[in-house]
Amino acid sequence: MKGEANIWELSSESSKTDFKTYVDQACRAAEEFVNIYYETMDKRRRALTRLYLDKATLIWNGNAVSGQEALNEFFEMLPSSEFQVNVLDCQPVHEQATQSQTTVLVVTCGTVKFDGNKQRYFNQNFLLTAQATSNSTVWKIASDCFRFQDWAN
Amino acid sequence: MSPPPPRVCFFPPQCNLNPSPKRTLYFEWWGGSGPPHPPPPPPMGLGPGVGAGGGHIKIVGPLRVFRCLLRGWDSNPGPNGCASSRAAGGAVRERTGSAPRVEPEMKGRAPEVTLSGAEGRSAAMAEESKGGYSEHDDRVGGRGFSGRRKKGRGPFRGKMYSEMNNRNSRNRGGPPNARQRPEEDDGDVAMSDAHDAPRGRYLPYGPRPTRAPHLTVRRDLPPGERSSGAARDGGRRNWFKITIPYGKKYDKTWLLSSIQNLCSVPFTPVEFHYDHNRAQFYVEDASTASALKQVSRKITDRDNYKVVIIINSSAPPQSLQNELKAEEIEQLKVCMSKRYDGSQRALDLKGLRVDPDLVSQSIDVVLNQRSCMMVVLRIIEENIPELQSLNLSSNKLYRLDDLSELAQKAAGLKILDLSRNELKSERELDKVKGLKLEELWLDGNPLCDTFRDQSSYISSVRERFPKLLRLDGHELPPPIAFDVEAPVTLPPCKGSYFGSDDLKVLVLRFLQQYYSIYDSSDRQGLLDAYHDGACCSLSIPFGPQNPPRNTLNEYFKDSRNVKKLKDPTMRFKLLKHTRLNVVAFLNELPRTQHDVSSFVVDVCAQTNTLLCFAVHGIFKEVDGKSRDSVRAFTRMFIAVPAGNTGLCIVNDELFVRNATAEELRRAFVMPAPTPSSSPVPTLAAEQQEMLAAFAMQSGMNLEWSQKCLQDNDWDYGRAGQVFTQLKLEGKIPEVAFLK
Repeated sequence: MKGEANIWELSSESSKTDFKTYVDQACRAAEEFVNIYYETMDKRRRALTRLYLDKATLIWNGNAVSGQEALNEFFEMLPSSEFQVNVLDCQPVHEQATQSQTTVLVVTCGTVKFDGNKQRYFNQNFLLTAQATSNSTVWKIASDCFRFQDWAN
Repeated sequence: MSPPPPRVCFFPPQCNLNPSPKRTLYFEWWGGSGPPHPPPPPPMGLGPGVGAGGGHIKIVGPLRVFRCLLRGWDSNPGPNGCASSRAAGGAVRERTGSAPRVEPEMKGRAPEVTLSGAEGRSAAMAEESKGGYSEHDDRVGGRGFSGRRKKGRGPFRGKMYSEMNNRNSRNRGGPPNARQRPEEDDGDVAMSDAHDAPRGRYLPYGPRPTRAPHLTVRRDLPPGERSSGAARDGGRRNWFKITIPYGKKYDKTWLLSSIQNLCSVPFTPVEFHYDHNRAQFYVEDASTASALKQVSRKITDRDNYKVVIIINSSAPPQSLQNELKAEEIEQLKVCMSKRYDGSQRALDLKGLRVDPDLVSQSIDVVLNQRSCMMVVLRIIEENIPELQSLNLSSNKLYRLDDLSELAQKAAGLKILDLSRNELKSERELDKVKGLKLEELWLDGNPLCDTFRDQSSYISSVRERFPKLLRLDGHELPPPIAFDVEAPVTLPPCKGSYFGSDDLKVLVLRFLQQYYSIYDSSDRQGLLDAYHDGACCSLSIPFGPQNPPRNTLNEYFKDSRNVKKLKDPTMRFKLLKHTRLNVVAFLNELPRTQHDVSSFVVDVCAQTNTLLCFAVHGIFKEVDGKSRDSVRAFTRMFIAVPAGNTGLCIVNDELFVRNATAEELRRAFVMPAPTPSSSPVPTLAAEQQEMLAAFAMQSGMNLEWSQKCLQDNDWDYGRAGQVFTQLKLEGKIPEVAFLK
């Protein structure tokens, strides 16, 4: 993600920048993010909450979890996982909605097997927002929404 | 046509078999690799049951003494020192003549324990003593004892070559097994034992027991049996595996013909093969085997080594193993049901091969053969998957590969008895470590001797079965570290999450309006819903979730999967940008009918300027090639506020897949009100009155009230009943009450 820094800073003159550039960057950010997220979720679960903003919210099959502490507890309690992402789509979020804070909508679909449970299909979406620090840009999850396709079963 | 076999029922138990009672400790360490520690050698004098004359001579006495002498135990100093004892010991083994039995020689003699007896024999035996020794092969993968295997065995020396093939070097002490080998080769093993002082030697299961009980057993066989080794009952034969150490270096023809030249009986080698450096084959009866044994060391090869022939009782060669036939399987099922204790959910398959029922019907169930084990497992899986306790002891199991599926077939198994088998390595346990065992019996297996001490034995077993409470009949000390239960419970799944009632009203209204246009014949009306700079994209499942039937072909060309699609141009093109493009694109998609009542909404994020929510639901395609296909979707909307109560979409991501059977069942339970682009048709005054009243009474909005009345032919009473009923069943969606 650090490599994105310069590009994103340039694009603060947003009106001048090509929409295509936004799309490209959104795609790259989404791809990289998804790799890191699911790998962390599967293999380094304890580090997962670092990917979330302090005030981020997770809606997990209708359960709302908000804030780092609650997220930590939640992910610790969640059985170990094996995710497989098959579909990934992403869009740059319109600046009017984000007040010019660069945000990407990421949508994923795939299968997950939680320890002790059968494998299931899921849909998940994220709002990823770029946080500029002094020397780089860090992407953080502002919101995360997860549902099994067969949640009602 | 024979009647079908009786239906075997595992309940109620036909025979109340108790699980193996807790075994008492026979000696300091646990379990035993054989029978209880033999009684201490008798004092010089008569051993029990040793007497002149025929009948049952219990060889235990004198032979034990010899072995004690051989071992150089202080408690029983050999009368003649080692040599003659060895000779005697050797003589005991060495047999000439057809019957490889010891008894006839011992028979009628004075008890050998006396000095005179031993001496008397020694002369006669002297000549044969060499022969006795001749069985001993010094080679241990190199001359001498340099090839000692340590392997955490402590004072144990490495196996002598002559005992490498000796699988049954341990006395099983089980029920008299007519298939006892005629002899063992480990007599000379004792020689090296003499080097190892009895003290300080780790013998977890006691010293190696004697072979004596074998001999008495054999004695019970009718003479004809013993000498000819002929089949006792239909089908069962005595197989022996013949091993020629280092036989690989010889030309096969030379080897076999040389042996045949010297062998007193003609033999047919079955399944001749090489195993490492050994040449091996099978022969079918005891007399042939013993005749072959006589040839050992009679042939000298080119390098001046004597060709050694070692014989061992064996299972029939693989190629001749028969699978069980259907009728046999049924009988096996009956047999197993007798051995099943329903109250304990315990199945006792100890020594299954010699089960009287099976034997009497000549059904040979050899559990260390994969085919037999598979049959048994299948019977368990189909009849008693709730099995909790399984006893597989004394079945000559030498590997657990065939039990690997036990964890699936009998997931509740808690007690497993593998004692008195031939498992050589702890690694066998890895093959069944899926079992959540509470109690395990392993004593009587060679693997037990591979541990330095008790605690490494325990921890090695625990590694595979962390929840184990009892091992070999002993309560285990609590584990040193607590293992934290890994969670397996998922949080319960809930329906829609709106965050607040206001948001709920806002979003539901929005969706109602959006989909009434979306489901109409022309989606142009949606232009008002989108921001100028809105973007929209579509995705469909990739992979097996998308079955060929009910294809999503109509969506395929527009679907955007950044995981698979790497071309930046395509990635860009597939994202529709600006309101006009978005709506034009949406208009090209098949006409739909959405089941708004099936919608589940998750409001993901909300700020002053942004509302992000996910909608999950079902729709039906009402035209096009896939007419009537029912699809499921997940749609992401990101919207900015518009006006006071409106939303304006800036981002729209639609994911479409096929509905599952379950979703199909639940969808369209309550017919969605037919959207129409035209306003509500004019109603008669009477109907309008009815409508107003109905709406007030039911609380539903006009549109839904009208629908209900219409569907019930404007029969107010009936409509009311239907409404009440559906409301009770929770089938009326919330949108119906939105004003």
